[in-house]
Amino acid sequence: MINIRRIYNGRWRHKKKKAIFLIFLLFLVFVRFSKGSFYKDFYYYISKPFWPGQFQREVISTSLDQELLIKSKQLENDNKRLRELLSLHRLSDSQTISAAVISRKNGSWWRQIILNKGSKHGVEVGSPVIGPGGLLGRVKNTSFLTSSVILLTSPESKVGVWIDRVQKHGLMVGTANDYPKLIFYTKDVDIKVGDFVSSSPASTLLPPNIPVGIIKSVDANSNANKTVNVLLLGKPQAIDWVQILKMKI
Amino acid sequence: MDQFLKKNLSIISFIFIPILFLWHPNWLGIMGIQPYWPLFWLLPWSMIYGSINGLIVGFCLGIILDSISIGGGFTQIPGLMLCGIWFGRFSKSDNVFLLHFRYGLICAIGSFLCGSFYFFQFLIQDFPYNKFFLFFPSVKNVLAQVFLTGLLAPFLCSQLFGLFKRSK
Repeated sequence: MINIRRIYNGRWRHKKKKAIFLIFLLFLVFVRFSKGSFYKDFYYYISKPFWPGQFQREVISTSLDQELLIKSKQLENDNKRLRELLSLHRLSDSQTISAAVISRKNGSWWRQIILNKGSKHGVEVGSPVIGPGGLLGRVKNTSFLTSSVILLTSPESKVGVWIDRVQKHGLMVGTANDYPKLIFYTKDVDIKVGDFVSSSPASTLLPPNIPVGIIKSVDANSNANKTVNVLLLGKPQAIDWVQILKMKI
Repeated sequence: MDQFLKKNLSIISFIFIPILFLWHPNWLGIMGIQPYWPLFWLLPWSMIYGSINGLIVGFCLGIILDSISIGGGFTQIPGLMLCGIWFGRFSKSDNVFLLHFRYGLICAIGSFLCGSFYFFQFLIQDFPYNKFFLFFPSVKNVLAQVFLTGLLAPFLCSQLFGLFKRSK
């Protein structure tokens, strides 16, 4: 009979226990030195479905919208009353005509859109045209069924605008690209990038305070006057429906 | 009816140029700029019917295109008339490759001429108001238009040339 001699090498489970203990120790060191960031990030993911913001945010944003709507209505009424007192132009009561864009040329020099409403529908030459975002241009000519709108980006376009923050008037001219230039005939204007541009309250061509754009950049190399580039809020390349405003002059 | 269509194909296609000009398909443009569509029609037509006819048709095209585009005091007529005369002096080459290349090159130069004429009108009209800032966007417009016109001309002009030749 052969005697099999067992050579003792230490139990494997004892080794595993030591390894697990070592890993746990390293983990503790990691947690300590990372200041618990691992736990915090882990908690971020597991708690995400239970955050309170999702529903609450909607409620708050609806309330804010309502509040702004009421405020805007009040301001509109005030504005109307004051303009009547000063005998300035205002929008007529029938106000707007909705029209679809049936032709669009927003590149090259001919920057125009053609709308599916013309003189038959009461569109008049010179009426301002607005789209989602703000002012797009003015009606240049009308046919019986269509009207052509010259866009603010067209080199033909020149409109008076107003910077509300500094309360200064300027002339916005199209430059055959997507960013019209706004010219101030003085150098002492404190214009900053991001300033809001709207139609001038003193304009005889446009109703007051229609959003136009925001200042994109200020030109450094102008001489006697200050020129800035304007990023328009209304995007004619993406708009299919517009509103033609009826002016009471 | 077929005979009538075949015989008057050039006139019927002429009517569709302003439609194409108004349609302005954005997917065919670069940076919103389109090829100069009237030249694709004017080149083969003038090559077949000669310089004088090219001049007259260039003038008619200019009048129609000016009336459908808001251009104020600016006009496309001089550029198109000049192109009409110039295109009428070319004859058809037997070498197909050379012919296609020529269509592209001639249309590109024609587009450059028309674009430059239009641009100079802006500069002259608004000179006292110093429209220096119009310069770079306009150069960009001209170059993009020249590129697109030159690119599409070999395909469109060769097709139209064949159609006009058969209907003559």
